[in-house]
Amino acid sequence: MQLVGIEMLNIFGGSAYLDVDQLASHRGLDKTRFDNLLMKEKSVALPYEDPVSLGVNAAKPIIDALSDSEKDRIEMLITCTESSFDFGKSMSSYMHDYLGLNRNCRLFEIKSACYSGTTGLQVGINFVLSQVSPGAKVLVIATDISRFLVAEGGGVLSEGWSFAEPSSGAGAAAMLVSDRPYIFQVDVGANGYYGFEVMDTCRPVADSEAGDSDLSLLSYLDCLQQSFSEYQKRVPDANYLESFSYLAFHTPFGGMIKGAHRTMMRKMLKAKADVIESDFEERVFPGLIYCQRVGNIMGATTALSLVSTIEHGEFYSPKRVGCFSYGSGCCSEFFSGVVTAESQEYLKQFNIADKLDQRYPLSMDEYDALIKESTTVRFGTRNVKLDTGFLDGVRNSSDMPRLFLKEIKEYHRLYEWSQ
Amino acid sequence: MEKKNVFLIVKDVISEVLPDVDSDGVKIEQNLKSLGANSIDRTEIVMLSMERLGIKLPLVSFGGVENIEEMVDVLVDNT
Repeated sequence: MQLVGIEMLNIFGGSAYLDVDQLASHRGLDKTRFDNLLMKEKSVALPYEDPVSLGVNAAKPIIDALSDSEKDRIEMLITCTESSFDFGKSMSSYMHDYLGLNRNCRLFEIKSACYSGTTGLQVGINFVLSQVSPGAKVLVIATDISRFLVAEGGGVLSEGWSFAEPSSGAGAAAMLVSDRPYIFQVDVGANGYYGFEVMDTCRPVADSEAGDSDLSLLSYLDCLQQSFSEYQKRVPDANYLESFSYLAFHTPFGGMIKGAHRTMMRKMLKAKADVIESDFEERVFPGLIYCQRVGNIMGATTALSLVSTIEHGEFYSPKRVGCFSYGSGCCSEFFSGVVTAESQEYLKQFNIADKLDQRYPLSMDEYDALIKESTTVRFGTRNVKLDTGFLDGVRNSSDMPRLFLKEIKEYHRLYEWSQ
Repeated sequence: MEKKNVFLIVKDVISEVLPDVDSDGVKIEQNLKSLGANSIDRTEIVMLSMERLGIKLPLVSFGGVENIEEMVDVLVDNT
């Protein structure tokens, strides 16, 4: 069997964050049973951050660690997003430029709500498996932000949607896919996918979102059961409890995953409440730790949960991780791979936890000012010079150089490196 | 199964998921949110009710239900 999977994986969890409990109080949300939602912090995109800057900041440390000859083997750069600012031009063209990649490279973008990152990963895996260009690598960058508030008015699609604000984050995951799967060796052919049309959450207007959170949760659970059943058809001995040492889920918010896991344990194994609780702590919770700090970064969230699992799990011997990805609208996939002690060692070079710690803690006043300031870069903005003095402390809160949006000039986005 | 019997089962499930709620006082026209159920609790109530009634339906069939009665109606239609 040919080896394939994720050679290197890094997360950029933004430059600033907000305490979610504080936000819920500030917005006057009903906080009955709020703790059950298992939300803590969310990363917030600054006006001078966008999906391109976040994506480049995730990928740059991976690219910098490659030799020139390795870097030149990147033959595909796929951006995976629901936050792009242009219907035609792919953001991968900007990222390709700022990362200084070989021009003999396919550049394109994938849209599939929160399933986009997994879609990109699977495209990359299949390109490597096809062996049409032996030794080639694929750079998959899932990057998303949620900049503005909910679409106002309306009935069904706005009902209960106010909880989207505390759960929506900003960030990116960069995955280098190749025949050297140091981080995550994919189980080839072990994929259960399931999709159908449903109007649960969507971005039908620029800079805003709409959704029916109850319908989305119901659809997520249907898809989890159905995609796992399909996975079992292809991997006949697969067992939800015994086949996977850890589970990494697309995580809109932690409480939803706890509920989803409970459902699976009850349906698949008729497990009792105490068994489900301890199994959640052991196999699922490691994958929620970073998700609770960054929030839902849509297309990048499954990768965020995988990174969290690898960093917080115990991998003295190689272990299988089951991954579930769901994108509203909808499509979903259950797949798996193997993680080793070396995977954990390789990830340490990116200091992901330290970088999350270095994010700037926003006050509510600063957050409100930020939302107002972000209107300067609304979808369709033709010309603007970003106010680099806005929340100046944020730009210097990290010890690593970061890319920021500097100017939009005749729709063309220009970026600059900090330091 | 008759609607009133399905409602009794649903009330029983509500008291299991939301132990602080006095299920005897629950009215069919109420919505689950007003009883303090968050989105996860609401889904749990739907799933447990289906299990008790031996119903297998896609969960999205319950999308858009606005109160307990509408949920009971979907269950009754599929028993």
